[in-house]
Amino acid sequence: MTTKREPEAALSVLPKSDGSARYSYAGYTVTASVNGPIEAQRRDEHAYEAHVDVIVRPAAGVGGTRERHLETILQASLIQLILVKNFPRSLIQIVLQVEASPENDYVNTKLMQASLNSAVIPALLQTAVLALLSAAIPMRATATSAIVAVMTQDGASRLVAHPSPREIEAAQSVHVLAFTSQDGLLLAESEGDFTVKEWDDVYDTAKKICCKSGATKGEGIEMVLDEQEDSGPDMRQFLRSALETKVAADLHWK
Amino acid sequence: MPREAEPSLNERQFVLKALEENLRLDGRTFDKYRALALTFGDEYGVADVTLGRTRVLAKTSAEVTVPYADRPLDGIFTITTELSPMASPAFEINRPTETEILLSRLLEKTVRRSGAMDTESLCLVAGQKCWSVRVDVHVLSHDGNLTDAACFAVVAALRHFRKPDTSMEGGVLTVYTPAEREPVPLSWLHSPFCITWCFFGDEGQMALLDATWSEEQVRVGSCTISLNRHGEICQIAKLGGTPVEAVALLQCTNVALTKAKEFSTYLDKKLAEDAKRRDKDGLMAELSAENDR
Repeated sequence: MTTKREPEAALSVLPKSDGSARYSYAGYTVTASVNGPIEAQRRDEHAYEAHVDVIVRPAAGVGGTRERHLETILQASLIQLILVKNFPRSLIQIVLQVEASPENDYVNTKLMQASLNSAVIPALLQTAVLALLSAAIPMRATATSAIVAVMTQDGASRLVAHPSPREIEAAQSVHVLAFTSQDGLLLAESEGDFTVKEWDDVYDTAKKICCKSGATKGEGIEMVLDEQEDSGPDMRQFLRSALETKVAADLHWK
Repeated sequence: MPREAEPSLNERQFVLKALEENLRLDGRTFDKYRALALTFGDEYGVADVTLGRTRVLAKTSAEVTVPYADRPLDGIFTITTELSPMASPAFEINRPTETEILLSRLLEKTVRRSGAMDTESLCLVAGQKCWSVRVDVHVLSHDGNLTDAACFAVVAALRHFRKPDTSMEGGVLTVYTPAEREPVPLSWLHSPFCITWCFFGDEGQMALLDATWSEEQVRVGSCTISLNRHGEICQIAKLGGTPVEAVALLQCTNVALTKAKEFSTYLDKKLAEDAKRRDKDGLMAELSAENDR
């Protein structure tokens, strides 16, 4: 049901927090706020590094096991990006508020679902990175993320980038991958049945989506041509242009 | 979590002295609201309300559950307000602050207890099945006057919301998905709005509408009046603070009525605009498909 439109991002949307971002893509809309470095609570205080606190809040209902699981996944990834050693004994607080998720018109949604919703991870991670950039938190690298589903049709498997809820339901396996701006693999979450060969294909596809801009710049048109069928926008270029727009607007007075 | 910074003596004096000279920091008159903006989401029942720099998001959802044993003919209607650290790092998760409790109680009194929604219409099978409608209020940014913004968002979200259509045939309940049947609106009786007055000065002689966060921190008392556009008052809450003259309160209620009327007109206008927008791309196409058959 979702329309495959371009991702949208707005930075510093909340006036009171140190940094914030609103990101929407593939039916998901997430707003994130980042406060930090701020005073940590006694129990969270670490002598050598900053504590990164990730809070995921669903649009409807109170957060449960699923949100806690998402928080741990995101926290583990974001710790790798943020230079936590720079801020001992402090706290960097990231609040992610899901505003909208894609609707599936063919089922009535249940409010409480215990299963992992991996489709939301790319949106959450992307928003968190944008908000961290907006809050000017020192980071080792930025990150881009993609979700790829492996669909089986008449014995042949097919890869679908940024699948809709219906495609995810029908998919053999779903994979979420994130890459840093140095092309390193940051996150790999998989669900369902798949072979190593399939995972390798997924890895290549996701890498193409996440790390495209570096490759296309030098080599020109033929790269673009053979990627035509490959749906999904260039995430790294998107991240860069979102920030460029913001910086240009901020420095307008100069 | 860090505590919210209290205004310094200088800031406090600045705001108060300005008020004594009939001036507000943002140049508004005493009985003027900040710019109010309402946007609806792509889904039904999502309302995003911006009041100056205060921003509140309300989301309505519904599911079928078992009614409470002592009220078998009523559906379930809940409003959840949880202030996340997004509004201010001083708010902690799973530890409600006073602000949060007061806000949720006020919304409860205004919207739920005033009978704004007919809960009996949410009943599907007496004592066995009913709709449970819940509104989640998310405060994205807090710059004063949370109550009015949150109340407006809740009312807007509920009026915008559509629940899945149902039918009963031979004791079998069918809940239709949005693809099968167009969802139906809730049975709504009246739209109450909160109007909050803040009092300043030694005897609370100055009354301000829609105080910002810096003004709220130096006020001596506040009074929230909930009423609909017909002037029917749902509740008046004046929780402690400096006593205020009864005549002044009457004056406040009169102004509140005009503000409630303005809110109501604005909400009606926005709902009509949204209905028109939806009609254009989705509904009309569906209707024409029906005619073809």
